[in-house]
Amino acid sequence: MKFAKYIFTFLLLGLAATMWGQAAEPAAAAASEDQFSQIMVYILAIGGALLFIVAMIYVIKVNQFLYKRVLDLEAAKSGAKLPAEALAALAAQDSFWTTLRKKYWEDPVPLDKEEDILFHHDFDGIRELDNRLPPWWVNMFIITIIWAVGYMYYYHWGGDGPSSLEEYTTEMEQAKKEQAIALAGAANAVDESNATALTDGAALGEGELIYKNSCAVCHGPSGEGTVGPNMTDEYWIHGGGIKNVFKTIKYGVPDKGMVAWQKTLSPSDILKVGSYILTLQGTNPPNPKAPQGSIWKEEAAAASPDTTAIPPK
Amino acid sequence: MSRIEQFQYDNRIVRAFGVAAFVFGLVGMLVGLILAIQLIFPAMNLSQYGIPYTTFGRLRPLHTNAVIFAFVGNGIFMGVYYSLQRLLKARMFSDTLSWIHFWGWQVIILAAAVSLPMGITTSSEYAELAWPIDLLITLIWVVFGINMFGTIIKRRENHLYVAIWFYIATWITVAVLHIVRSFELPYSMFGSYPLFSGVQDALVQWWYGHNAVAFFLTTPYLGMMYYFLPKAANRPVYSYKLSIIHFWALIFIYIWAGPHHLLYSSMPDWVQSLGTVFSIMLIAPSWGGMLNGLLTLRGAWDRVRQDPVLKFMVVAVTAYGMATFEGPMLSIKSVNAISHFTDWTIAHVHVGALGWNGFLTFGVLYWLWPRMYRTQLFSIKLANMHFWLGTLGIIFYAIPLYYAGWAQSLMWKEFTPEGILAWPNFLETVNQIIPMYAMRIIGGTLFFVGTILGVYNLVKTAAQGSFLSNEAAEAPAREGRIAKVAGEYWHKWIEQRPIQMLLLSAVLISIGGIAQIIPMVFIDNQVPKISTVKPYTPLELAGRDIYIREGCVGCHSQMVRPFRSETERYGEYSKSGEYIYDRPFLWGSKRTGPDLMREGTGNQNAKSDRWHYDHMIDPRTMSPGSIMPQYPHLADDELDLSLLPAKISALRTLGTPYAHGYEARAIAEAQAQARTVAGRLTEQGVKDTNMENKEIVALIAYLQRLGTDIHVNQNNQK
Repeated sequence: MKFAKYIFTFLLLGLAATMWGQAAEPAAAAASEDQFSQIMVYILAIGGALLFIVAMIYVIKVNQFLYKRVLDLEAAKSGAKLPAEALAALAAQDSFWTTLRKKYWEDPVPLDKEEDILFHHDFDGIRELDNRLPPWWVNMFIITIIWAVGYMYYYHWGGDGPSSLEEYTTEMEQAKKEQAIALAGAANAVDESNATALTDGAALGEGELIYKNSCAVCHGPSGEGTVGPNMTDEYWIHGGGIKNVFKTIKYGVPDKGMVAWQKTLSPSDILKVGSYILTLQGTNPPNPKAPQGSIWKEEAAAASPDTTAIPPK
Repeated sequence: MSRIEQFQYDNRIVRAFGVAAFVFGLVGMLVGLILAIQLIFPAMNLSQYGIPYTTFGRLRPLHTNAVIFAFVGNGIFMGVYYSLQRLLKARMFSDTLSWIHFWGWQVIILAAAVSLPMGITTSSEYAELAWPIDLLITLIWVVFGINMFGTIIKRRENHLYVAIWFYIATWITVAVLHIVRSFELPYSMFGSYPLFSGVQDALVQWWYGHNAVAFFLTTPYLGMMYYFLPKAANRPVYSYKLSIIHFWALIFIYIWAGPHHLLYSSMPDWVQSLGTVFSIMLIAPSWGGMLNGLLTLRGAWDRVRQDPVLKFMVVAVTAYGMATFEGPMLSIKSVNAISHFTDWTIAHVHVGALGWNGFLTFGVLYWLWPRMYRTQLFSIKLANMHFWLGTLGIIFYAIPLYYAGWAQSLMWKEFTPEGILAWPNFLETVNQIIPMYAMRIIGGTLFFVGTILGVYNLVKTAAQGSFLSNEAAEAPAREGRIAKVAGEYWHKWIEQRPIQMLLLSAVLISIGGIAQIIPMVFIDNQVPKISTVKPYTPLELAGRDIYIREGCVGCHSQMVRPFRSETERYGEYSKSGEYIYDRPFLWGSKRTGPDLMREGTGNQNAKSDRWHYDHMIDPRTMSPGSIMPQYPHLADDELDLSLLPAKISALRTLGTPYAHGYEARAIAEAQAQARTVAGRLTEQGVKDTNMENKEIVALIAYLQRLGTDIHVNQNNQK
């Protein structure tokens, strides 16, 4: 019978371990992502740990039960009987687990013995019991206080917990590295110094879509200009040609309300929408906004480089 | 044995507060429902018809004030006036004071209901009311205090029951909070600027705001729970010892936790950390109340199934336990990084307000009405229906908003592999959660309908009974203190001494606030100065006050947190030194629209004046699908600059370095700047005339100034 007990224990332990493994696996996979995943890792880890503990307790309980059954059976077989006093003493004595539970978890006085701990005084008929503080509650309180001291130590009193701004610096450095790897592709290697206008239909189609979503509210659905300038005439405030247009879109004109799109559009997207804008030249849409800036001639580009849109230092 | 005395309990005052509670409960919930509808149908703001009073920005503080101070406030007084008399075996100290208290409180509510839609607001959450109303609140609170302590002094009961400890702590703490938060310098009949600016104002605000939740929505209701729950269950309170420990721990720790509303803001890290750790330590003291409530029901759970009063109370106490566990979790920095500024916060507070405060109030009302009207509850079936509608309402309200909060926050933080924001247009993240906003309306409607059933049930109960105005009672006279009995609890000592209890409470609740606020105010290096940050120009100041009046802060924060997802979206993270001239601070607590800290000229998201002009008149022309209200009245209403000299003078008194005699030039300077803005608008193609005299130019001038001062050096260099 003892042998059966061990088999049962191993089976249950195995089951618990499998559950733990399942809980931990997605957690590990998500670990490299963002704050959300980090929190999920914690939740899953804590959940897994709790599950494990519950499973352990269950295993031990089952063991106890089985062991008792074995003893009972053996006692029945041998026909031996314990004296009555010994039986009563056994019944009065709490098992190890009951003692543990009463000490650290909960220990209310049973309802039928309530009278013993009832205060005599009443307030408008309300009476009070003198139950112990629930031990688990006291323990929780103590743990949170210890945690609080530890937290303050780690972040302020001596530990090397990062400040909010140090966290920010780390986050930005990490992002820069990842970004550099992702931008290594040729399509995104483009910037204002080497941009050349795209001509293939698919790219211009994508450019048109970006234009409709992001530019049309200020420059008009056909580029005729409303809040922002007209982009169908040959006048340009910050210089025409794909290089200047690319630069204006990328860095914006913050003093005049042109948004800097580099935080919103990838370099290849800027190139697409810039190229699309250049196809609007000479389309003469209805309700055009009056020309602003000066006439742009591609050959004049070298002579008078635009200086209005300046990349922030 | 001392002589038995006959006396009568005053029930009329209890009824008056009870009626006020459910009337204002309905009003507060209805305004909430309107706000929820406005969020998916911006036309419901009605401002497109030139009506400025009903925009989301103006109604939101009306909703929060109505629920907190009118619904819960009257609920508190109902519970206190009923239980206090009975626990002390004495009629209220003075009927006159009772009625001054009642009518004074209703006048305050009425003043709030009129002034808030008119745009008279300080914009500090839950302390929006104008300074004359603040004075009235102080006066009425003192009246309440005299009445309560008068009753305590003439009590026939030697010891104070736990409910009364909570009432005492509530009274003293709310008084301290309200007075300190109302340190403000008036510049006109209704306008004032707060004593503290920027970071300090933010700290005082959330010390106040957080503890308004603690000492207005929590401690008095715990006191009520300690009276009404054992009464309704007819069971002894589970543990006297637990009441002692959790009471003192709760009031001491709660007061420290305010800065958890300011995590990752420009507040110094040490203050933020104190907010976090005290919030975590608050779990056990909060749960002490829940445990003592739920464990008191041991042996009475079978009755919970039948008695609607107990049902309401059980859900209330459970909601309290959930909200007070969730709160500390939201105070952990990594969780807060996700939850803050989103609808998660809204869901969290509604679990507290609808579940804990709402359900406990309903439970108490259902228990009180039949007793005061000497009859049975009109319909148990209706009460059960109310219970289920309310419970479903909370679930349908909270779950969609939890989802909305998570979803929107994750969208804000998502990057493409190329390092570009995946959802660069803020509006996309709003439109994503509109269905959740729609579901929230269903939840709110269910809860509202439930409340109407409750009111009907109570009205019918009253109709079938006869009201007992003065309830006869008798008790032996009190003959001074009872000497200490061997082996009795040490706490019995203070239970016989209300003044000592008041003083000890006052000391304990002062420590946290002093430890945080004093260093922030008096130690200079807590807020590093930035030399280029200058006070607002008179026109910008006028624009800022319009921004405050319209309640823009209800949906737009001015706090770029140091996260990559925020600095990429909005620009440079906020520095504490940038806010030193901000009276009041306008960091906000919810982003229904984008942050505006870096909205001004020269920042990456800066827009042209014309963009702002068109956007104010109809946001949907510039941002199709936007849910922002229209503000055409800003382009119609004349700009009133007459208060500028008084404002400049008040601000200088408080510490803003305007030159002496600047008042005399302020109006002329404002007009000159207004002409410049109007000129730019005309140049950019706005066809309207006379724009320099309209409110909108002041608002645009303010928006174009936002977050620009730190760039001054860069511009000079180039």
